[in-house]
Amino acid sequence: MSAAVREKPFSLAKSRRIIQWLAVIGTFVLGLRHIMPGEASRGGSFDSFCAFGGIETLLPYLSTGHLLKSTNLLNFSVLIATLGVALVAGRAFCGWLCGLGALQDFIAEWTRKLFGERNHIRGKQSKAILPLRLPTVVDRPLRYAKHFILGIILFASLYTAFPPLREFCPVRAVFSLKMTPLLWLALGIFMAGSILVERFWCKYLCPLGATLAIFNTISPVRLVKDTNHCNNCGRCDIECSMGIADVPINLDHPECVRCMECLNTCLRDGSLTIQIRNKENAI
Amino acid sequence: MKINPRYYPAIIIATYVIFLLLGILLGFRPERGGEGHGNNTLIQIAFTALETLS
Repeated sequence: MSAAVREKPFSLAKSRRIIQWLAVIGTFVLGLRHIMPGEASRGGSFDSFCAFGGIETLLPYLSTGHLLKSTNLLNFSVLIATLGVALVAGRAFCGWLCGLGALQDFIAEWTRKLFGERNHIRGKQSKAILPLRLPTVVDRPLRYAKHFILGIILFASLYTAFPPLREFCPVRAVFSLKMTPLLWLALGIFMAGSILVERFWCKYLCPLGATLAIFNTISPVRLVKDTNHCNNCGRCDIECSMGIADVPINLDHPECVRCMECLNTCLRDGSLTIQIRNKENAI
Repeated sequence: MKINPRYYPAIIIATYVIFLLLGILLGFRPERGGEGHGNNTLIQIAFTALETLS
């Protein structure tokens, strides 16, 4: 008698979780590597692996030919890679490859478990009291803060020796293992914020996210809704970690991190599909 | 054109790696031994070619 071999169904959420863990571990290893004796002098500082470091040092490099201290040319390679992903799939870097974004997803999950949700049922409103969903009247203006921060950093980068965000950067606070009083403060704000609001840093403060947001409307790989299949049940709205309202009509929203949790949650086959933009499906 | 969700993670990772290699090939890499400024060989060649053309 031959045993029937059943192929396991593919889970996009599981793949994402694995990639996110690899991103967190990889960033942690970069931080660990940098505090090893003799390692600090090899291949540049911890900051030189940061995509946003490339943005911070770009204007000084173009205007004076010199890079900001603690950055080097590798920052531009990492920035090119991040912008490459953004050109192809919008803010997918934030949803899949960013170590800090991954950590916020994990914190939100652990917080929900700690504050009243034993088992998460996909598409069902969480009973946990934390993380909160801020009311629109507070949430919407706060979302512009990251664009404001980006502007200030770009301006300040022309007048500073080190990258302006360096002393407050939560990536350094979490992963670099070289703490200063300001980094402890940044870590505290990051942790408290992530417990209170899901993806707090991405939603309100991340200047890299603000940069990548513009690519969501032009990237060719995107989600498309089939109006014949979607019944606007709202399951995808509940699962959206970025708190986007009416997900099916906001699939190219600048806040979308292309995590595909909406696609995972949708029960109606064919309602949401990943497509390459062409003349027919372009908005 | 529809994309099978199975390939979506691979698309993202492949794109990241390809563009990272492109950046490194363009010369955006650190010099050994610290915060060096690297040699943008390909960019220098491109600039020289542009200057020659103009």
